[in-house]
Amino acid sequence: MDFIIQNILNALQWGSFYALIALGYTLVYGVLRLINFAHGDIFMVGAYIAFFLATTMLGPSFGLSPFMTFVIAVPLTMALTACVGVTLERIAYRPLRRKGAHRLYVVITALMCGLILEYGNLAVLGASRLKFPDLIEKSIWSVGDVTMTNLKVIVIVAAVVVFIFLNFIVTKTKIGMAMRGISYDKFAIPLMGIPIDSIIVFTFILGSGFAGLAGLLFAMSYPILEPFMGMIIGWKAFIAAVVGGIGDIRGAFYGGFLLGFIEVGVVTVFPSTYRDLFAFSILLLILWIKPTGLFGMPQSTKI
Amino acid sequence: MNTPLLEVENLHVKYGNIEALHGISFTVGEGEIVTLIGANGAGKSTTLMAVAQLPPPEAPKITGGDIRFRGQSILGMAPDRIVADLHLALVPEGRHIFGNLTVEENLKLATYARKDGVNELNRDYKRVYQLFPRLNERRKQRSESLSGGEQQMLAVGRALMSGCRFIMLDEPSMGLAPLLMYDMFRTLKELNEEGMTILLIEQNANLALKFAHRGYVIDTGEIVAHGPCASLMENPEVKKAYLGG
Ligand SMILES: Nc1ncnc2c1ncn2[C@@H]1O[C@H](COP(=O)(O)OP(=O)(O)OP(=O)(O)O)[C@@H](O)[C@H]1O
Ligand SMILES: [Mg+2]
Repeated sequence: MDFIIQNILNALQWGSFYALIALGYTLVYGVLRLINFAHGDIFMVGAYIAFFLATTMLGPSFGLSPFMTFVIAVPLTMALTACVGVTLERIAYRPLRRKGAHRLYVVITALMCGLILEYGNLAVLGASRLKFPDLIEKSIWSVGDVTMTNLKVIVIVAAVVVFIFLNFIVTKTKIGMAMRGISYDKFAIPLMGIPIDSIIVFTFILGSGFAGLAGLLFAMSYPILEPFMGMIIGWKAFIAAVVGGIGDIRGAFYGGFLLGFIEVGVVTVFPSTYRDLFAFSILLLILWIKPTGLFGMPQSTKI
Repeated sequence: MNTPLLEVENLHVKYGNIEALHGISFTVGEGEIVTLIGANGAGKSTTLMAVAQLPPPEAPKITGGDIRFRGQSILGMAPDRIVADLHLALVPEGRHIFGNLTVEENLKLATYARKDGVNELNRDYKRVYQLFPRLNERRKQRSESLSGGEQQMLAVGRALMSGCRFIMLDEPSMGLAPLLMYDMFRTLKELNEEGMTILLIEQNANLALKFAHRGYVIDTGEIVAHGPCASLMENPEVKKAYLGG
């Protein structure tokens, strides 16, 4: 029993990371029909931004306590990572959109932007790995054989709060309605007096901001940073978003958590080297049965 | 004479490399109802999209001439500012409602750029639901599931919710049963009497000329006749080509 609960907690933690990243793929896809392949690397940039913020604030010039550093680093990391996402939209995707470029070129551009972020990081910071400082004092709660760290709780709570927040934005606010409206009929958006570009920028702010949050929390949980850390986790989150039904925010969450549970489940039965093989095979099977993803409806509504 | 509300002067537009309008000119005065009639493919929808400043590729690229609103050129203005600042709305051909949103959400979205207070907005919602009671009955329904005629009402209702004082309608009677069609035109007349300026495209030229004050006949991208509706109805050419003899 304890063993099962322990694994459920681990699955929830990993699911939270996947879900937070999957969101960004799904939001941008819902609004622009663009698979933003640079998104995993935005997560990586978020982790590095968090690193520089944390070391600066802990350092002699500020000398903040680790906890204060954490409190300030959360919004600041999200804001700065959002800026990176918006910049990418501005300099890479928007010009192509203006020229009416074919979708293939936009996707390739996204892929290249991701590579540029990875190798740019490698060029600037070198190949050495960075060690993320401890920001919150780890407290470990044990009940029987189940151990729960406060950090895990923070990660899971963060994912749930983000889900509730996004659900509110998308269903209740006018800007959320506009996001849903664009995904259905882009032509009519300006006719409602809505500037399309501002909705797109807002979408990138949300997606990249939450990727930044994921980067910070991930770096706190697994404190080794390297330029390619966003690659595999980004691919996994993207697959999770597709399996959940890309374009639907519930899909991103269920897909993310599903992947977390499958991975942890596989490892409890098989050697850990089998994890990704089995996880991806199961996801493939799900798509084979339901090609639109769990929440995807053919064509019509997204987000 | 005062400057007309809208002046289109020698307008040339292209889709890709093909010119669709070869220098058309017309005016719409404040409080007027003006209609554009013409055969399929004449360039009527193209004209309205150009005035709304919608971007290519769905809309044409303006290559020459001028479009003025209250005497000021609006070329290059963002399409959302046309709605928000000039209060000039377009109900496009094919409705383009947001099928994944409810009726209520469609109307709410149209108020996006309005700065009016709650009272004004509520008054306008009430007015739209009063004009189109069917929309009121279907408030919470996904608009995709409305009938074609109801979707048309929603498209008009949405334009009204944008706070427009000038409405351009591209075949608003499309898909409406005759009775509903007359309802729609009665509603438009009512709006006009309250001061709404209307630029109308209508397949049914007879109906359009009875309804409007003035008309322009457009043929393959050029204006071939214009004048008060009464005189257009008597024009033998117009009669022969558009009024069925
Ligand atoms: N998006 C487009 N791309 C290329 N050509 C277009 C496009 N839209 C319209 N055209 C062309 O421009 C011309 C005018 O079309 P437009 O839609 O303005 O006609 P219309 O008068 O509204 O016709 P209808 O009564 O059938 O609605 C047509 O020859 C049409 O083929
Ligand atoms: Mg047309």
